[in-house]
Amino acid sequence: MAIRDDFEAAAGQVRNVVQRFALALLVVAAFGIMLVGKVDTVAVEHARVVALDLAVPAIEAVARPVAATNRAIADLKEFASLREENARLREENARLLAWQTAARRLENENERLRELSRFREGPEASYITARLVGDSVSAYVRGALLNVGRGGGVAPGQAVVTTEGLAGRIAETGENSARVLFVTDVNSRLPVQVERTRERAILAGDNSAQPRLTLLQTVAGVQPGDRVVTSGHGGSFPVGIPVGEVVAAGEGGVRVRPFADFSRLEFVRVVDFGVAGLVRTTPPSPQPAPPGARSR
Amino acid sequence: MRAEGTLAILDRWGRAALPGLTLLLAVLLTLAPLRAPWLSDALPLLPVLVVFQFSLVSPERLPGPLLLAAGVLLDLLLGGPGAPVGVSALGFVLMRAAIVANRRYLLGVPFPFLWFAFALLTVGFVVLVWGFTVLWRWSPLDLAPALVQWGVVVVLYPVLGPLLARARPRDPLNVPVQARGTARGPGDAS
Repeated sequence: MAIRDDFEAAAGQVRNVVQRFALALLVVAAFGIMLVGKVDTVAVEHARVVALDLAVPAIEAVARPVAATNRAIADLKEFASLREENARLREENARLLAWQTAARRLENENERLRELSRFREGPEASYITARLVGDSVSAYVRGALLNVGRGGGVAPGQAVVTTEGLAGRIAETGENSARVLFVTDVNSRLPVQVERTRERAILAGDNSAQPRLTLLQTVAGVQPGDRVVTSGHGGSFPVGIPVGEVVAAGEGGVRVRPFADFSRLEFVRVVDFGVAGLVRTTPPSPQPAPPGARSR
Repeated sequence: MRAEGTLAILDRWGRAALPGLTLLLAVLLTLAPLRAPWLSDALPLLPVLVVFQFSLVSPERLPGPLLLAAGVLLDLLLGGPGAPVGVSALGFVLMRAAIVANRRYLLGVPFPFLWFAFALLTVGFVVLVWGFTVLWRWSPLDLAPALVQWGVVVVLYPVLGPLLARARPRDPLNVPVQARGTARGPGDAS
């Protein structure tokens, strides 16, 4: 009897030690994973891509009811303000018609001037329309997941635009998924220029809603309301994609409000401008892609 | 031994898998593009709520290795370039250990104390993740957005916590049974 009790006590002690050891083991494992991630970034990127590819179908399934809820809420809101919205749109339509006339005139003029100067346009852009299936937003990341990846022609470094303007760039691609890094992310550095003054600057995200504009020359010329467009320096994006609008210029630095509304993105266009960038490993094909959107 | 029916087996399996599946769902929900202004901020901490609640009611169904895997998955899915992978796993594991160590006390206290414990442990988790992210990036990061997330999830806890707690097996008189080995301290083996 006493032997049996001793045995049970010993077994209990062993179990206890194993339990304690298990916690230490788990903590060591977590640290190990973190260190491996720090040392071997390629392996981590690979793991990320695999996890992304596996998770995107599941996230899509989870996101569908969420999207329906969002749409219902938006519909209700719109319904409440239908009359004002209608009036606003009519006004906007009149304004846009005037713009259309101006644009047609400018297009003609542009064409004639190009003929005169024998200007040769760069390769035409091709678009891939993608649906946003997941947010990649936490306290430390500003991004999103798309349902199109390498299989659809998406590659790291390509620009992601909305109807309003630039949203960000592709950071990682899986076979059927891709991660976008928004211009507001802390890792985002975008060469831009102020449209009015042609001053070059770097738009640096800091996870806030309004990224900071670091001017390479002078602060004097920039005013709130100035449009900021991509400058094409660094070679990953072409010139002139609208990015945002200067909202504050002063002691606290220059702040830009992006045109893209990140809180209500549903569809985005991934744009391959065929510009050889720093992030591209293979040279772009010499043949311009056929015009028109490839969409999925 | 009594032969088990198919339903009973399904029931047992379902119960065993429930915490893990809920955690997985919470990890996936983290990435759902929810457009509710405050709620979407809290989503990244939803898995923490699940870990807290199930570690409290049935830690044996949410073992450490599972938490490690779920944490790594969360970091892989959520993290952008440069974010440490595995820090959520570390947070989950430490959180489970802290709860299991104080489980008998926590199961007995009134709800406000439990809520306080949740707030305390999650703030620990948030600061841990923030600290490692800053360390990994070697550049200062604003703690405020993380604290906003924390605040929202703490407010959500009284709604979601009891909901998850209903999933525990119904013991007669709710007496901790022997199968919940982790509830027993080393001194109990008398």
